[in-house]
Amino acid sequence: MALAALLRRMTPLDRLIVLVLLLASAAAFALIGHGPRGTRVVVERQGQVIFSAPLGVDRTVTLNGPLGETQLRIRDGHAGIISSPCAHKVCIGMGQIAQQGELLACVPNDLLVRIEGQEAEEPSHDLISR
Amino acid sequence: MTSSAVDPQLLARVRRRIFLALFIALAVALHTLEFLLPSPAPWFRLGFANILTLTALFLYGGRAAWVVTLARVGIGSLVVGNLFSPGFLLSLCGGITATALMTSARALGGRHIGPVGVSALGAVGHAAGQLFVAWLVLVRHAGLWQLFPFFLLFALGTGIANGIAADLLLELLRSHSAFRTPVAAENGLESRISP
Repeated sequence: MALAALLRRMTPLDRLIVLVLLLASAAAFALIGHGPRGTRVVVERQGQVIFSAPLGVDRTVTLNGPLGETQLRIRDGHAGIISSPCAHKVCIGMGQIAQQGELLACVPNDLLVRIEGQEAEEPSHDLISR
Repeated sequence: MTSSAVDPQLLARVRRRIFLALFIALAVALHTLEFLLPSPAPWFRLGFANILTLTALFLYGGRAAWVVTLARVGIGSLVVGNLFSPGFLLSLCGGITATALMTSARALGGRHIGPVGVSALGAVGHAAGQLFVAWLVLVRHAGLWQLFPFFLLFALGTGIANGIAADLLLELLRSHSAFRTPVAAENGLESRISP
């Protein structure tokens, strides 16, 4: 009903414009939706890097945390946690990451897995913007 | 109208001025209100003030739309206290892009284009202009463009909603005696003058 009322308020050209813009935003999702692929996997604990490896080389590593061993697998340019001693397995549920800036976190086991890209990250701005 | 001796053209001019002033006042109020609303990200704004720009555009034409937008951004920024700050720059450039798109759409589309289409175009233009300026002056980081699709979709939604609001407002105003078509108004005046 609401949709019918909406369509009544629109001229054919309006509908065309909305359709084109909708397609444009869908295209934007497809094009810009994913960022540059990362090149390195970096694992941090409390701000300190405890492990770092290139994303291109397949391997499985065991990382020790306060709770026990967490297994991180790098395969086909993707990194993912495949086993963890934590209770809820949220980190495993976060799946695979490959893009620059993506994160995997295991809070109980105090691990932060990050994908880094080629260029160094720019210094973050203290941004007050409205 | 009681003052039938008044020159109808003068009357129309004065009316136009008064209504434009009202539109600007309303737009400034909405601009300020929106500033006070919490938003998930600095640039997710609903753009209610655009309703008044649209109304001015459809009632009085492109120049009036420009007047409402520029006055709204200027006065609104004075009211909320961020004149010449980055936020003001974003508002200004978003507003300019949006108004440029809307006035040209109206000029090109003519009768075929309604408030909803113009509003959708304007909202998307606003988002694009704002993001471009944000990238230019604030965050020189390619990651900003990853926000663009979300921005675009959000702007499209608010644009359609604002367009409907503007359409409702236009309907309301056009049914008012001050906004009947000039010919009808003149005829009405004449019939009252010479009974």
